[in-house]
Amino acid sequence: MLSRRDEILIGLGVMVLAAFTLWWIIPNFIATPRRVPIKALSPAFWPKIIAWVVLICGAALTLRAALAPKTPNAVADDLSVSRAEGLRLLALGAILVGIYFALPILGMVWVCMIAFALLLLLSGGGNLGWGLVTAVVLPLALYFFFTKVAGVAIPQGQIVRLP
Amino acid sequence: MTFLEALSAGFTLVAQWESIFFLGLGVTIGVIAGAIPGMSATMAVALTLPFTFALQPIFGILLLLGVYKGGIFGGSIPAILIKTPGTPASSATALDGYPMAEQGRAGEALSMSLYASCIADLISNLALIVFAAWLASFALNFGPPEMFTLIVFSLTIIAGVSGDSLVKGIVAAGLGLMLATIGLDFIAGTERLTFGSIDMRGGLNFIAVLIGLFALPEIISYMRKSEAQDHRVRGMGYSRLKWLDFRRCLKSIFRGSAIGVFLGAIPGIGAAPSAFLSYSEARRASPNRENFGKGELEGVAAAEAGNNGVAGATLIPLLSLGIPGDVITAIIIGAFMVHNLTPGPLLFLNNADIVYALFIGLIASSLLLLIIGSIAIRLFRYIADVPSNLLFPGVLVLCVFGVYAVNNSIFDVAVMLVMGVVGYIMLLLRVPAAPFLIGFILGPMLENNFRQAMLMSRGDLSIFARGPITILFLCLTAFSVVMIIRATMRAARLKREMATYAKTSQASGTQD
Repeated sequence: MLSRRDEILIGLGVMVLAAFTLWWIIPNFIATPRRVPIKALSPAFWPKIIAWVVLICGAALTLRAALAPKTPNAVADDLSVSRAEGLRLLALGAILVGIYFALPILGMVWVCMIAFALLLLLSGGGNLGWGLVTAVVLPLALYFFFTKVAGVAIPQGQIVRLP
Repeated sequence: MTFLEALSAGFTLVAQWESIFFLGLGVTIGVIAGAIPGMSATMAVALTLPFTFALQPIFGILLLLGVYKGGIFGGSIPAILIKTPGTPASSATALDGYPMAEQGRAGEALSMSLYASCIADLISNLALIVFAAWLASFALNFGPPEMFTLIVFSLTIIAGVSGDSLVKGIVAAGLGLMLATIGLDFIAGTERLTFGSIDMRGGLNFIAVLIGLFALPEIISYMRKSEAQDHRVRGMGYSRLKWLDFRRCLKSIFRGSAIGVFLGAIPGIGAAPSAFLSYSEARRASPNRENFGKGELEGVAAAEAGNNGVAGATLIPLLSLGIPGDVITAIIIGAFMVHNLTPGPLLFLNNADIVYALFIGLIASSLLLLIIGSIAIRLFRYIADVPSNLLFPGVLVLCVFGVYAVNNSIFDVAVMLVMGVVGYIMLLLRVPAAPFLIGFILGPMLENNFRQAMLMSRGDLSIFARGPITILFLCLTAFSVVMIIRATMRAARLKREMATYAKTSQASGTQD
């Protein structure tokens, strides 16, 4: 159960997102033909309907939260992030972004090995021996399954190439 | 193809060692994944999906169905032994299963859980065989307006029961529907929400979206807290399940199976409500009702029967109408699509051999579950010992390989990573992910049927009330909205009362 303030913010956020979609994204990023015989067949018609429904739901969420009695702090779930948690989330975000950008350069196997090892360290580094063995064996096993059995060309990268 | 021809063709497909092997492998993977705290049947099915691409359609789909069935049962093992349900639906099993384990009767509870699961699973599979073909032949008469109103009804139920707020469920479904519009418009051929990216012209890959939504948020949650969980595993004890005890629970098992079949066949309800309804009905009808919650064997039987009775029945709307009843069947629809099979009434006409092979395979899965489940119960101590700090990085590696393998596309990996963050934010804000995914899957079908109906009526909306079927679905939608709003208001009132009580007791504690 979230606090009333959080619920109001969620409702307002949904409304802003829907309004942004309705009045900026749809007009700019949906190409519509000049003449459409039936309005409902226009490429923008369906996304507009969805955006309106989301906008109305956002208003309903905000209104409901605003009219509801205040949730006591003891009962409401806390959405705040501690400093340590924030740092871990930032590091995880960096690893995920790194995976995407490193894939074409290092190849999937090496990227996955490094990502596994980094996640292991990020989660405290327990079972380090087994973890490092798994970090090497798992991506290699998956590489051989997908290339040799499933016939999928796994990206090899530009540095070290596997058979 | 006549019924007998289809049945014999189905037998031919299943009567290969590979079919039984992949089904057994699937059940094993499912039971292990369900038994590992932190993994879920949904995550297991999602991660297995990419491995089915290299297989023949029937083997791939049987593998996934095996994971599904095994995962649902597997969740009950940690529920009984460590009071940590492997799946949400196993929470009801923990109510009596864990007290039994505390009394040294874990072996009895686990055996009952296994037998109740297998019986309910078998009944559910038989219901699927009886009703799916009948419903599919009925659905052949559906035109675009009927399909549109049916999908709207399904989405309403899914949005209403997936979380604790109907409005948040509709927002999630709306966002999923919006995401499904990305790509080329199928009538005008113009770009929609592609932001100039060539990769987005074909739309977002469904498997990347689902793995991102259901596997990555678990990894992010774990990495944020990163706490070592202390599971105190109870011993099996020395008590064995006696025939007399089993016989007195049979009524609850059959009742629970019937509840599971009924609720499973309605898109969106899922296993958890079925398990709790079955449990409460068993408690109401039992002469030992005062023992429920303190270690009553009948409670375990009823919860597991309700839980597993859903498994076959959720495939009824999937196979006969092409509408996934829950997240797992939404993933299974992906396996059909990858192998160029379209679930729905036409599947029974064009691929009857595969449909009947699936039916026979599902019956075999109940037997395999009995064998594999009884072994897994004894090996649980080793399964539960998989350290989370090795498990979650391993899941991430599986996600990256699996998603890439779908289209050989690094862009899909990016989609998965972004959807993982979106899924985590939804988890934090209590916005349910199931309506989002099902909205994303059903989006093109919903829009297509809407536009076809508009073409047929030349823009007249009254076509959506053109006959008894559309009117029935519209009435059901309105009725379910009213029922969901009533239930939500009742739950909100209860929460408010609890909050007031907490506030009052806090105040009196301060005064003291």
